Parts: sequence; C-alpha cells; structure tokens
Amino acid sequence: MVGLSIGEKHFIQGGIAQDLRSDGRKRLTTRPIYVETGVISQANGSARVRMGATDVIASVKAELGRPNALQPDKGKVVVNVDCSPTAAPMFEGRGGEELSAELSVALQCCLLGGKSGSGAGIDLSSLVVVEGKICWDLYIDGLVVSSDGNLLDALGAAIKAALSNTGIPKVNVAAGASGNEQPEVDVSDEEFLQFDTSRVPVIVTLTKVGRHYIVDATSEEESQMSSAVSISINRQGHICGLTKRGGAGLDPSIILDMISVAKTVSEQLINTLDSHIAAAEAGEEES
Amino acid sequence: MEYVSPEGLRLDGRRPMEMRQIRAEIGVVAKADGSALFEMGNTKVIAAVYGPREVQNRSQQLNDSALVRCEYTMANFSTGDRMRKPKGDRRSTEISLVIRQTMEACIMTHLMPRSQIDIFVQVLQADGGTRSACINAASLALADAGIPMRDLVTSCSAGYLNSTPLLDLNYIEDSAGGADVTLGIMPKLDKVTLLQMDAKLSVETFENVMQLAIEGCKAVATYIREVLLENTKQLESRRGI
Repeated sequence: MVGLSIGEKHFIQGGIAQDLRSDGRKRLTTRPIYVETGVISQANGSARVRMGATDVIASVKAELGRPNALQPDKGKVVVNVDCSPTAAPMFEGRGGEELSAELSVALQCCLLGGKSGSGAGIDLSSLVVVEGKICWDLYIDGLVVSSDGNLLDALGAAIKAALSNTGIPKVNVAAGASGNEQPEVDVSDEEFLQFDTSRVPVIVTLTKVGRHYIVDATSEEESQMSSAVSISINRQGHICGLTKRGGAGLDPSIILDMISVAKTVSEQLINTLDSHIAAAEAGEEES
Repeated sequence: MEYVSPEGLRLDGRRPMEMRQIRAEIGVVAKADGSALFEMGNTKVIAAVYGPREVQNRSQQLNDSALVRCEYTMANFSTGDRMRKPKGDRRSTEISLVIRQTMEACIMTHLMPRSQIDIFVQVLQADGGTRSACINAASLALADAGIPMRDLVTSCSAGYLNSTPLLDLNYIEDSAGGADVTLGIMPKLDKVTLLQMDAKLSVETFENVMQLAIEGCKAVATYIREVLLENTKQLESRRGI
C-alpha cells in the first residue's frame, strides 16, 4: 500500500483544503485522459484508457446464447474486472480478487441497473436476435494494467469507449424453424451493427478528504479519504447508479450536494470523452 | 493440412525462416520499477518488475542471494474464445516457473542478498509463442529497472511442419501437432538458458530447427539492444547531458 509520512499526509490534506493539490490541480479538475480504441484485435470492441499513471483496458466480446427464461426479450451483459499483478505486487495470486469483485459489482450496478436491467445504460432488448431463443451475450472484461487511483472512473470510461468501438456481427436467421426448435443462424463476417452508446453513462467518483471532496483522486489522495461516492450519470443528466464505498458515515445533505457537483463534472467529462473517442476511432480508421 | 504452400509461403504469408513483426516499448507501467511491452505479431505481453526490495515473506529470505519471483497471468480476453479460468492453473504455474528459472540465470543475484525481485507478466493477446514473448518482455523490464544482469536473455520458438523448419510459430502452427522448440539464449555469452521441445524429431532435423531458433533469438537480441539504446539516449537528452 501507499506508505506516507505524517508530513506528506498533512501536505496532501492541507493542499486539498486550499484547493491546490500536490500535482497542481484544483479540487474538481481531472487528469488529462488518453483514449485508444481497437487495441485487442480478437475482441469485438476494445479500448485502453489512461488517466495519469492509471492505465486500464476494456474489451467487449459477443457470443450467441439463449436468453433467460424470465426475460425472453433481453440479452445478457456480464461485467468482469481483473487486477493484473503488474499494477501492484499486492494483486499477486489471489490478492487482487477482493478489489476485482468490488469493481465488477460497482460497474455492473452503475452501467446495468438492477437485476431487471431497467435504467441500464445498455439497451438489453437490442441484443435479442430471436425472442426467447437467441440473443447476444456481451462479455465486458476490464483489466487494470497500472493503478494510480480512480480505477472505477477509468474503467467506466474504458467500457464506454470499448462499446462505441464494438461491432456486433449481423445475424441472418433461417426461416422455417417453428415451435421449440432452435432456429439456424448464419453469422455474417462482413456486416456489423454499431452499438448505440449515447445512453451509456460515465462514472464520477467524489472522494472526501477532510471537509472537502475531490474528483479523480490519485492513490496517495485515496489513502487519505474518509469516504467516496461513485455516481454514474448519462448525457441527459440522469443518475444511473450510485455506490458509496468505505470510510465513515456521510451526512445525507452532503450526499445531495455531492450529486449536484458530480452532475456538473460529468457534463465536462462526457464531452471530453466523446471527443477523445471520436478522435481515437478516426485515427484507427486511418491507420 | 498444408502449412507451407508449394510456393514456400506459410498460412500468414511469411517465408519459413521469417519472423513476425516485433515491437517493444519501455516504461508502460508508470508505478513499476521497470516495465516493458513486447509484441510478436498478434501476441502481446506486458512485463513489470518490482524490486530489488525488502523480502515480504521472511521465511523465504535468502542470506546470500536475491529471491526472484515470477507470476504469469493471461487476460480473459487474450484468447480467441473467451476463457474463464481460475487463477494459477497448471499451465500458468509451469510458465511462471520457466520464466523464473530463465531470468534467475541471468540476474546477478549474489549482488543483492536478502532482497526480493518480482517479475509479473501479463498476456494481453495470445497467438502462439507467449512463452518467448514473456521472456523477452521480462528481459527488457529487468533492464529498465536497472537490475544487474550477466546478459540479456532473448527467446524465440521454431518448429517443424511439412518437412520444413519454421521460425516463430503462430497459434495455428503451434497447435498443428508438429514439434515446437522454445529456446532462450544469452546472446553475448552464447549460452542456452532455456530449451523445451514437445513431439519427436530426428537428431539431424533437431539440429537444424535449433540452429534456426538460435538465429531467431539473435535477431530478437539485436532489436532489444536497439530499443534499449534508444531509450537510454532519450533519458540522456532529458537529463540534458
């Protein structure tokens, strides 16, 4: 973990109180973000996002499967995150499992809503090929390559970028299958359907240090936090999910205040992210 | 199946003695002491080195040399079909061990007693030759971390299909059932540190295949040296020397 002396701790806390953090940022300024798409050629879509020293990769793989009997008109999406030991020696062996599980669950709830899938950033009904019989299963895998705080926001951004990069093959269903028979399908290797990502939210984590809260905390700043709230917000300004992790209790009024702050931050973040994704996609097509 | 066409071309259009495109980058993991990315065609791995540092588990401490540890992990999305496997399966454990032993042979461990060096390799894309790519990446990462080494270790594989020796097998060629020789050498000292082969070959053929693999390792070594030299020049110019 982060080893800090008492002097360093005071420096970080004092800086945040005076709205000047150790890397020169203000409390509500994020680090510059770098997006690269199409990094994993075997996947249907992939992206790598870097924010300072935090570096994550997200990949989307689509496989044909059967929809759940209870929800025949919906596809399935599974989010899974792995923490590579390259990011920190403590993730060696099974050491990263706890954090991986925490991040996976938080992403699942921020991007996909509850079990019903209502309020999901991803339109699950667009994944159905034949109702009740065939649907696409989307496997979203995140990998933390290098970690310097704010992993959840980076993973959220990477997944958003990977989904905009995703092409789902067009499926032609052979007519004539009736009753309980599983219809035959022909998966096209040339035609791809683009995924609608305009509703996919971004995640903004507000970390409370002392009496103030900051966005995009580094791992040193995270070690000084009293609590953190992750809020996922889409382009329309709707809150899609919310998780509070760790630390002491928070006053309800502070949480409402945090949400309004997160809303303004998310607007800038969505715009920068969208322009970066567009630039990355354009760059990929050129090369 | 035909792996070498009558015109002498392989499935991916290479000649039998041609390597895939290799690319290396140093310093990809900011928080690590040393790190490198290594690509051989579609195979892509990242290696990170932490240390030399205090030994975490006191009972493993060695009083006369450094403790070298290695872990090999594959990303879920690295293979063609998405896999869900538990961490630390047999194959990963075996490759971790192979990489550890190979790197231990070149690190001057006696200079760093009572300390620990961790090498972590992460496979991002697997398309045959992950073992070799991991060793090359680990070698670069160790050099980036400034750990004293006798020589760089470089690795390359070679195989034998359709009565032709082939250099640097990809996944399809690797799973074709022919012999697969993975070789690791220290090019300056001209010593072999790793040699693995599956399937059977006659002694004469083996000599040819191994000679081919040695040539491959030497080509990788030349490239790695170039990358390191370029990196050092950049560091130099940044310091304003």
